[in-house]
Order: sequence, then structure tokens, then C-alpha cells
Amino acid sequence: MNYVAFSLKQALEIRKATKARVMAGGTDLMVSAQRGEGMMPRFEGDMLLISHVDELRHIGFNASGELEIGALCTSAQIAGDSRVPWALRAAASRMGAVALRNCATIGGNIANASPKGDLPGPLYALDARVRLLSVDGAEEMLVSDFILGLKKTKLKDDQIIGAIIIPKMDEWFDYIFWHKIGTRRANAISKLTVTMAIKLDQQRKIVEDFRLSATACGAKTNRSREVESLVIGKKVQELEDLVAPVQEAFDKVISPRAMPVFRRTATKNMIADFFSRVARLPEERNME
Amino acid sequence: MDIKDPIKRMDALAKARGETKYLSDYRFEGALYSRMLRSSIPRGRIVDIKLPALPEGYRLITYKDIPGKNALQMITADWPCFAETDVKFVGETIGLLVGPDRELLQKLFDQIEVEYEAQEPAITIAEGLACKGGAFLNGNNVHCSLSLQKGEDIEAVFSRAYRIVEQEITTGFQEHVYLETNAAVCTKEDGRFVIYASAQCPFYIRKSVCGLLGLKPDDIIVRQTATGGAFGGKEHFPDVLCGPLLVACYVTGKPVRLVFGREEDIANSVKRHPSRVRFKTALDKDGNILGMDSEVVYNVGAYLASSFVVLQRGCFHVTGCYSFPSERTKGIGVATNTYPSCAFRGFGAPQTLFAIETHMNYLASLLGKDPLEFKRRYLIKKGELTITSGPIIEDVKLVQMLEQVLKASGYAEKSKAYAIGSGKGIGLAFYNHGGAFTGNGESAIIKAHVKLVKHLGGPVEILCGQTEMGQGFQTALRKIAAQVLEIPPETVIYDNPDTSRVPDSGPTAASRSTMVVGNLVYKAALDMKRRIDAGEDGFEVETVYEHPEGYPWDQSTFQGVAYLGYGWGVCAVEVEIDKRTAEPVVKGIWTSHDVGHPIDELICHGQVNGGVVQGIGWASTELLQNIGGHFKQTSLSDYIIPTSMDTPTMSVEYVDNPYPWGPFGAKGMGELTFNGSAAAYVDAVSRAIGKTINAIPIPSEVIMDYMLDKEASR
Ligand SMILES: Cc1cc2nc3c(=O)[nH]c(=O)nc-3n(C[C@H](O)[C@H](O)[C@H](O)COP(=O)(O)OP(=O)(O)OC[C@H]3O[C@@H](n4cnc5c(N)ncnc54)[C@H](O)[C@@H]3O)c2cc1C
Repeated sequence: MNYVAFSLKQALEIRKATKARVMAGGTDLMVSAQRGEGMMPRFEGDMLLISHVDELRHIGFNASGELEIGALCTSAQIAGDSRVPWALRAAASRMGAVALRNCATIGGNIANASPKGDLPGPLYALDARVRLLSVDGAEEMLVSDFILGLKKTKLKDDQIIGAIIIPKMDEWFDYIFWHKIGTRRANAISKLTVTMAIKLDQQRKIVEDFRLSATACGAKTNRSREVESLVIGKKVQELEDLVAPVQEAFDKVISPRAMPVFRRTATKNMIADFFSRVARLPEERNME
Repeated sequence: MDIKDPIKRMDALAKARGETKYLSDYRFEGALYSRMLRSSIPRGRIVDIKLPALPEGYRLITYKDIPGKNALQMITADWPCFAETDVKFVGETIGLLVGPDRELLQKLFDQIEVEYEAQEPAITIAEGLACKGGAFLNGNNVHCSLSLQKGEDIEAVFSRAYRIVEQEITTGFQEHVYLETNAAVCTKEDGRFVIYASAQCPFYIRKSVCGLLGLKPDDIIVRQTATGGAFGGKEHFPDVLCGPLLVACYVTGKPVRLVFGREEDIANSVKRHPSRVRFKTALDKDGNILGMDSEVVYNVGAYLASSFVVLQRGCFHVTGCYSFPSERTKGIGVATNTYPSCAFRGFGAPQTLFAIETHMNYLASLLGKDPLEFKRRYLIKKGELTITSGPIIEDVKLVQMLEQVLKASGYAEKSKAYAIGSGKGIGLAFYNHGGAFTGNGESAIIKAHVKLVKHLGGPVEILCGQTEMGQGFQTALRKIAAQVLEIPPETVIYDNPDTSRVPDSGPTAASRSTMVVGNLVYKAALDMKRRIDAGEDGFEVETVYEHPEGYPWDQSTFQGVAYLGYGWGVCAVEVEIDKRTAEPVVKGIWTSHDVGHPIDELICHGQVNGGVVQGIGWASTELLQNIGGHFKQTSLSDYIIPTSMDTPTMSVEYVDNPYPWGPFGAKGMGELTFNGSAAAYVDAVSRAIGKTINAIPIPSEVIMDYMLDKEASR
């Protein structure tokens, strides 16, 4: 059976009762179910189309000042909203091409758990959480905990992703780096994407926080708090000396199967580039 | 009005509105669907085909159903319609499962099991030449070969050379990526077999498949349906669909339809030949080229089909736009267990043109000379001999074209400003393309006919076999007739060809349609104009190709004037490489082409845009690996063609160089525009990263390898 939900309540009830698989923009699902020329895509089991559920389409700050992005927000919507942190906007703005960006949703991108998906990278680095809804209530967890591995998540069969929550950070980070190496400049699958963020203290001398994630060089997006701790608390002036230890430590975290030399070298080069730029304390905050 | 002034394309509106019917839009009463059963191994013997119980109306058509000869008559007839006992490549047609319901057909198809006795395949050029797994053709895996020699014996030149430089250059497979996948239907109308196909050459199809039923070409009608792109991939390849469909239609008495899916099409269709070109060049002590020897090897795949002609053209273009005192080349078409390679825009010329440009750049960098100055000294001129020892018989305007490109691109300043290895580079290439069939092929092999009809009290109609496939020919040819007849082009009728209605004017291939067929229409129109002016109405004019006297060609020795007119090109490409990630960005493209005289500058502009980008794709992102006989990149997210986002605005210029035997002075240009951008792009990347690059494609991970490779320094 195929179901179409017109409200969140209805969607959750159908999901609970039937365990039907959720379809949002369908840009992953329809491709995966294609069966050749002239034949309709076919799915095993029931499907639940949620793309009419308007409650999941908002972007806005919640009571505690965190940014909430509804699961059905499209890449185009995210890319065009200045409240969204730059790295996530940049990632959304470079997904697929125009038509795709009007269909693809952030919920779908996370639930699909592709190691090459574009949105988890910035979301990992930002400590973003996913809110999972069901008839029986809501739960929240880090996106990085939610995604277990290649095409695997912690989504339970009565749950729907409701929103993605980006924690409040005073003026976000001082410097954000995001760079996607795509197979080309549009409709490009990531060969490697690196997101980094640095927060400085008030005097702009000490690194108060540092984040580093890399996509498309392992079964899922990589992030390591241990590696990040090598930088946190260090002086900005020392950043360039930290390039080598950070590179080495992060090199052990990533596990590219294909094109390892390329992926490892480019990752190293991007870390080195970001550190050397930040060490000069430039005005520009967003770096690609 | 000058013929070159652009007009609205005749097919544009219907295509933009989605009104044009492509093959998959046609419905045939009682038609059967079909699925191709193909070999899943690159080499071996079919032991058994296990079929599920087939319900009434479902049937697997195999070679046993062929009443005539099991061969597709392409240029050679070695490619069977259905494999019998042996399979030689992954994707080789074993059978065609037909039936009325698509769902059930698919279900049955998925249950078919073919049992093989596998043998060790040869996939690469090196493996083919080494007869890996034992030779499977002629004892040496050589499908075809040829040798050419101009001037003094090259061995003598080597013996007195001051320095000899050797270089090996390779290119990879390329997929055509026409928008519309391959598709055809075979049916019976009034007792005759009628084939509808998305195809370039309806007359080729007739000839190729008629023998399967022991028929003559005239017994079969082929109707071209609106064709959504081809690039050579629908020159001979439609035969591979139409043959089995014809047999199936004959067996079942029903219309049978076959439309490839995209991945099916990429995985199971012909490609551009991978190549390996080895140069050996003799220099004197001042760095002048005394002579150049080369070996050109193309990976033909399992069957020869059209590849000998492709290889010949490759060899004819191996010295590019240059003339050296002594030249020799040897061409080899090697058999491997890969999908047969076939026609693709440029037809063998792009591989050698890429190689010679890259080699010239290499020589210049070894000699510490400016590559452009180095190349300029050898640019061929009117009257000088090509490698087939025949003269160039037209003015060569490359120097003038170069000036245009230099001025538009700022090449001189940029090539000085961008230090080698600086991450920025500008590259430049010269290229050409011999128009139409080689030598006297147009008169000896093709013998094109066209008809122009003045309907009584009605419009003028063009009857010829030339096909529109997106290149704009239905507009160009109408323009030619209309300009002569002094009537509006949109009043001229020119439908997609039906072989029972139109004369055979030869294939829509070899950049010959405007140059050769256009001229036949031009001549017919002149005659028609005279008769209309004299008051005649309701008549036909037929013209037949005649080769001009005085330009001999010997097809057995490949000696003489290979081409009466070449298209010529100069292209500059500027790139910037991200030193962190090895990502290239094309910053600018500047071109000039000699196409004789353009028939419609906007159509020509489209050809330049498309050809140049397709060439850069071939050199950069279009990696197509064959692993164990299987193409690895079979979807459009894996097989990476450039997008408009990857392509900057292009500078497009021409020189006027009217061709005496072309309509309004026009020459061929469809393939020309592909032939040079790869070399210019690679030259630019090579300068930007300071490394010698001698293999394409070079996606960013390969550029990274070059950057990390100390040995490759230039
Ligand atoms: C041409 C093309 C280009 C593409 N380019 C890119 C690209 O550049 N970068 C990139 O990352 N991806 C790309 N994709 C993949 C895809 O578009 C994205 O992953 C997209 O974000 C998926 O969202 P969707 O809404 O279409 O997901 P759907 O296909 O609807 O669903 C995907 C998965 O998520 C689940 N799901 C969806 N919504 C929810 C929810 N609210 N709760 C629980 N589960 C849910 C579904 O059950 C399914 O398992 C591309 C796809 C195409 C076809």
C-alpha cells in the first residue's frame, strides 16, 4: 500500500500502524527503485509520502535560541536562508543542480546515510541534533550518533525525522572552512568534503573550540574529538605548528578505500590551508 | 542575406515544446517488448541457456531463428547478430526475449541463466597485443594494420640524427552520451519489413540487416525517427538492435520494440577507441625535426566492424597540422575482449591529434623552446605533402586563425605571466579534420544521390538520406536550397528520411553532409531555379556526386590526396588548478575555425561549443574503465561529462576560406570542433602543475598523482 499524509499527526499514525517507509523528496528513493525503460519504480513494502506535511517545512529559532530546520526543508530553502550557518548553506547550495535542490530534503539526506551525502559533514561539525518523532513521543540525538554507517541509522520503524537542531553558539564560529571536491561543478558526487570551524577567545589569541569533519573518505562522515582536542586551548600563533600533528592524527581516523592517496593528501592540504589562513586572523570568516 | 546569417532552427520549436516524437513515443498495435540477453563474461563458450517456462507469446530469439546469414554487414561483416557458441565480450548479444507484457517479460528475463565455460580475456591494448589467454583472432589478435611513409627513409634519418626522442601517449574509452538512448522498432507494413530507428544512417541499417533474412536492402524500409543525439554512436550501432528486432519480427509476425535504458546503453554500446601512440622523433643539433616515426595502436575490441577505417583516419592525422621532411607511421587495430569500439565524433583523428600536439609540446619543453614558436615552424602549407604523400590543395589559414586566438585570449602575456608549476596555465592546440570520406571514397564507395522535387503548384521538397540528430542539418540544408531558389527556407519540405522515398545520399557521418550532400542540393537547386524561371512546374532534379579530376587516391596503398578540404582549428584553454586539491577550473576557451564559409553561424557556434566541451570532457573527467571486461562507470553520476557550470563562455571566431566544391564555400565542421580542445586543455594543466602529462583522462585524482610524482617534471 502507498499512503499520503497531509498532517504530521496523520503521518506518525500511519507510520506507527503500517511501518511504511517514509518518502520525502524521493530523490534517493525513486532512483534506487528504478527498473529500466518504461517501467514504474517499484518498492518492496509500503510507502508513506510525507511531502505534503507542512509542519516539517520551517526554519526558525526555538525558545532556547537554537536553530531548527524542519526535516522537509529543501536544499534550495536552506541555501537561501541567512540564519543557517554558512557551511551548511554552502553545502546545500552545491547539491545536485537547480531541480534537485528544489526537491531534495535535509531529512532525506540524513536518513539516507550515504557516506557521500553533503549535509552530514557540516552538521557533524556543528554538533547538530536530529529530532525523531513518533506517536509515542520525541527523542533527540546528535546527527553523528544517529548515522551508524553506510545506509544505516538509528531510525526506529515508527519514527519520522521531524527537525534538525543546530545548537546556539555566540555568533557561531569565528572561522568556518568548507570545501567540497566534487566530480564536477554541478550534479557532482563528493570525492571529498572537509568542514572545519574555529572559535577564538575574546582576545582572539586562543582557540576555544575546533571542529573537523570529513565526508566521502570512509563508511560515514568522520569526526574525532580526540583530534580536535589537539587544537583546543592552543594559541592561534601556534596553529601552523599544529598542522602536522593534526594531519597525522586525522589521517588515522579517515579510511578511504578508493583513491586513498588523493583523499589523504587533499585532506592534509586543506587542514594546512585553513590553519595558515586563520593564523593570520583575516577578516573573511568563511573559507572554501 | 549572407547564408551565414543565423535563422531560427526548423526543429527548435517542436523540440522545445516537447512535441517532437522520439522512438519511445511511438505506439504500434500489438507490439511486443523485448530484452536483450547478453554475455556477462568477456570470453568463453556458452554451455547452456536455462530458460524459465515461457508462457504463450513469449519467446527467446537466438541465432537458430536466423534463416539467412548470422552477420551484421557493417563495413566488415564479422560482428554476428547473435552469438552462437563463443562469446567474445561482455554485452555480446546472445538472444532477444520478446513478449507482450513488460512486467512479465522482465520477470522471465531475470530468471534466465546462461552457463558459460569462461576463458581468460585480454582487455587492454597491451594484453591484446600479448595475446593474453591465447590469441582469439588471426593467431596474433591483429584485426587490421597499415603503414605509411613520406619522404626519406626514416631509418636513414635516425642514423644521422643528433638526438632521438621517444614518447608514448595514451587515451581512454569515451562514451557518446547522446541524450536519447538507442531505440528501434521493427514491424511489417503491406508485407514489407519496416524498421523505425533512432539512427544516423538509415541506409546502413538496411544493408547491414537484410542478409539475416536473405533479403536485399531494397526489401526493407528504414525510417529514421527524430534522433536525440548520436555523435557517431548511432552510425553503425543501431544495426546491433535492428538485426535482432528484424529476426524477432520475422519469427513472431509482430512489431517488436527495443528501447535501451541509460545504464544499459552505457554498459552495452560502442565507445571511442582507446589508443596508444608511440613517437620516435629525430632531431638535429639545433633542435630541428628531421623526421618522425610513430606507431598507432587502437583498441578495436572483439569485432572489427568499422574500425579499420577509424584506424586509417587516425594514421592520416598522426602528423596533425604539421609537415616534417620524413614521416612514417604504422597503425595496428588490436583485438581485445571489450565491447567493439566504433565511430565517435572525429573517427580516429582525435586520438592522434591529441598525441601529436602533446608530443610537440614535449619536444619543445625538452629543447627549452617556446611551444608555440616551435610548432609554428612546421605548420603545413598549401602544396606541401601530407603523410599520404598527396598535397594540401587549399590555402591553410592557421597563422591568421592563430592571430585571432592570440588576440582574444591574451595567450602571449599569460603564458609568460603564469610560471610553469604556478597553478595557472594556458595551453594551445592546432588541429584539423579531413572533410568527407577519405580520398575518392565519395565516388568509389558512397556515390551519393539527392533529389529535389518541385511539387506541381506546391512546395519544394528535398529527398536525401541525411539525418537530423541535433546538429542542425535540417535547417542548414533547407537554407542552402532556399537561398538558391530565392524562397523562404521554412517553405522547403525536408522530412526525416524513409529509405523507400529518398535516394541514398550516403551516411550522416564523416562531416560530409553539408560539404558533399549540401553541394548536391545546391547544384540541384541551381538547375531547378533555371527551370522554374523558364516556367516549369511539377518536376524533379537529381544530382549525383562526381569527384573532381586531378586529385588521385589509391585506397590499396593509401597514397594520394586524402582530403580535398580540411576543417582547421586553433584553440586556447586557460586553467587554474587548486594546489590543495588538484581541482582544475577552466577559466577561458578561445577558438578559431576554418569551416570554409559557415552556412549558419549560430548552428556552427553550437557545434563549436559542443565539440570543444566534449573534447575537454574526454581529456578531463570522462574516466571510463574496463575492469575484467565490464565498463565500470555506467551511470551518469559515475561517468562524468562536463556541465554548463564547468564551462566558461567561449570565444568563437572563424576565418573565411571558401571551399570550391562546397555549397556557398562550406566545408565540414562537426568533428573538427572536437579535435583540439583535449590537447589544449592538457597543455594548460601540464604547464599549471609543471609536469609532463601523456595519458588522458586526467580527473583531479590523476592530476594529484602527477603533482606528487617527481619524475614527471617538465
Ligand atoms: C540528480 C541527483 C543529484 C544529487 N546530488 C546530490 C548531492 O550533490 N549531494 C547529496 O548529498 N545528495 C545528492 N543526491 C541525493 C539526494 O538528492 C539527497 O540525499 C537528498 O537529500 C535526499 O532527500 P529526499 O527528500 O529526496 O529523500 P528520499 O528519497 O525521499 O528519502 C531518502 C531516504 O530518507 C528517508 N527519509 C526521508 N525523509 C525522512 C524523514 N523525514 N524521516 C525519516 N526518514 C526519512 C527515506 O525513507 C529514504 O530512506 C542527488 C540525487 C539526484 C537524483
